[in-house]
Amino acid sequence: MIDGLCDGPCEEEIAVAMFYCDFRDQQEQTATNILGAILMQLLVRGEVPEHVRQVFQKAKGEVGGRGLRLPDMVQMLKRTVSILSQVFICIDALDECLPKHLLELLGTMKEVLEESPRTRIFLTGRPQVEAEITRYFTPRLAVPVIPKMHDIRRYLENKLEMDPEPVAMSDSLRGDILRIIPERVSEMCVGASIVPISCMILY
Amino acid sequence: MDNTTYRHSVSIGTGNVDCNNVTNSHNKIINVNNAIPDENPEIMQWLSPLDPRGRHQDVRTGRLDGVGNWFLETDQFREWRSKEGGADKAVLFCYGNPGVGKTYLR
Repeated sequence: MIDGLCDGPCEEEIAVAMFYCDFRDQQEQTATNILGAILMQLLVRGEVPEHVRQVFQKAKGEVGGRGLRLPDMVQMLKRTVSILSQVFICIDALDECLPKHLLELLGTMKEVLEESPRTRIFLTGRPQVEAEITRYFTPRLAVPVIPKMHDIRRYLENKLEMDPEPVAMSDSLRGDILRIIPERVSEMCVGASIVPISCMILY
Repeated sequence: MDNTTYRHSVSIGTGNVDCNNVTNSHNKIINVNNAIPDENPEIMQWLSPLDPRGRHQDVRTGRLDGVGNWFLETDQFREWRSKEGGADKAVLFCYGNPGVGKTYLR
């Protein structure tokens, strides 16, 4: 999706920032750190704008610390976004974020959006985070993600082509794989199963 | 303080052991003391210890071309992507159970 945004026809300069939440990294993935990683990607050609440099130097001068506080981060992010013509922010797997970090993150995104309404925010997560998202963003667009039969087939065909041991494959086994797995996956999704499909179809 | 220092550089010819080729030269080295040290890496580190680029590369590598393209054809994506919508169309939420392919949407 992110690459799609970058590849698309662009009549103006766009800035795209993304972040992948990961439950294994929950403690370090605080709202401030996530927003910092996003901000870094928005710095055009890696140049640090003066307003960011000023906050940095002020923090460095303070006794005992250079720790970055959320309010400073919010201000820096808002200012950085406001001077760019079009910003896309993509955050994946919100459900893997600790609840308190998630709320701060969404709250900041809301502030950014209020100041720069052209900003586009793309979020993914399990259905249960919808309540938090609705709390901050109403209205919002939503798309349910269900694996498509032809996507699964395509994926399986690719994996079969890359089979490291093709002699062990027969036409009938190949036919069964291409028929049964997509059917089962579709049944699972209709039944709102929580079995990760990727585990089934990945080698 | 003098910003200019001089260094004697000596090179000895190695081609002929009987010959002592000694070249003296003054290489002028200018120390630019008033240059701003590059603090950008320090600022980047201060902004965040997290770097999502590695993960993005993994996703990019693991994705199969064409899979997930349906998403780009949805009305919701088009409304979100178009600039006409304003703040009402600013947030797009894709939801689904684990493993359905949210990360790999195209």
